[in-house]
Amino acid sequence: MGKPKFYDFCVHAAPDGDHTATELVSLARHFGYSGIAVANHSDKLPDKKSVMPSVEGFEVFRGIELVEENPSKLHSLIGKFRSSMDVLIVHGGSEAVNRAALENHRVDILNHPAFDRSNGLNQVLAKAAAENGVAIGITLRPFLHSRGSRRIRLLSDLKANLELTRKYEVPLVLCSDAMSCFDLRSPMETLALAEVCGLEEDEALDAISTVPERILTKNRPGPGYVREGIEVLEGEDLF
Amino acid sequence: MKRLLPSLRAKKRYLAFELISEEPASRNDIVREVISSAASLLGDVTTSDCDIKVLGFEDGKGILQCSHTRVKDTRASLAALTRINGKRATLHVLGASGTVKRATEKFLQDDRLFESEVEP
Repeated sequence: MGKPKFYDFCVHAAPDGDHTATELVSLARHFGYSGIAVANHSDKLPDKKSVMPSVEGFEVFRGIELVEENPSKLHSLIGKFRSSMDVLIVHGGSEAVNRAALENHRVDILNHPAFDRSNGLNQVLAKAAAENGVAIGITLRPFLHSRGSRRIRLLSDLKANLELTRKYEVPLVLCSDAMSCFDLRSPMETLALAEVCGLEEDEALDAISTVPERILTKNRPGPGYVREGIEVLEGEDLF
Repeated sequence: MKRLLPSLRAKKRYLAFELISEEPASRNDIVREVISSAASLLGDVTTSDCDIKVLGFEDGKGILQCSHTRVKDTRASLAALTRINGKRATLHVLGASGTVKRATEKFLQDDRLFESEVEP
């Protein structure tokens, strides 16, 4: 096994965040990431389709973070954006939205599911997430920018969610949710912070490299791909 | 006072870091923010175990010392630092080493410092 590749799947570029995609990409590359997904909130999309900056040896994925309160509208938004996006994230935050996102296998990640006084997940939703392969996103920005009672609240929500995701084997994704360059953290620091916040070492590593890679292979099928489970293999000695 | 035997001295790691910030900061600012961020994230008890000291800082790069068993906690508390003097900033750890000399040679010699093109 070689050196793991690190990905950050939730970075907000201008006009959603403060800095342009180019600045974020150059900083992420400097930090040692192999790729990032620029995933702006769906209510703050640029008017025209933006061109993704291309840098050699670094991948920039098209992503989107859907913000929608109404579950049926959310499903139609998922249908609308699914084919054009590499990474599809749903911005959670109410029971209906969390449920709609976790029960839709076309969603990749559900971010910040917690709301009011709840951690956002329960055994029913965790089971649905595991069945549909929807990952739970752990976003770093709230942990960085809050202190005291707010951070304690976030950590206890995270720990409650971790209990459930471990029991039902729900995939996790670590992402920065960066609104500016100053919210980005290098992979090693992200891992260290995740471990301090209660993740195991291998869980944290999976959440920043293996799970993102799996999402990518799912959404960018190879040349011989026919449909799920069927693939045309080429080569001489297959059998 | 008699100096401790080498085998009895606390073992340390030295982290080379660079500062990426809106405005330049002094060593004292960094010391203050690092300790306050560590105390907030880890609590006073664990922070005292970490034994964090900023040894030197100039031109956006520096070296800090921590206990060799607490590198992870120290990295986490550096990651949790978001502001210095009220201006947005982040510390990027370039690498860890067992001696100051090696940390300097390995991580601070070359000019790979990130060009601060993120001015507001």
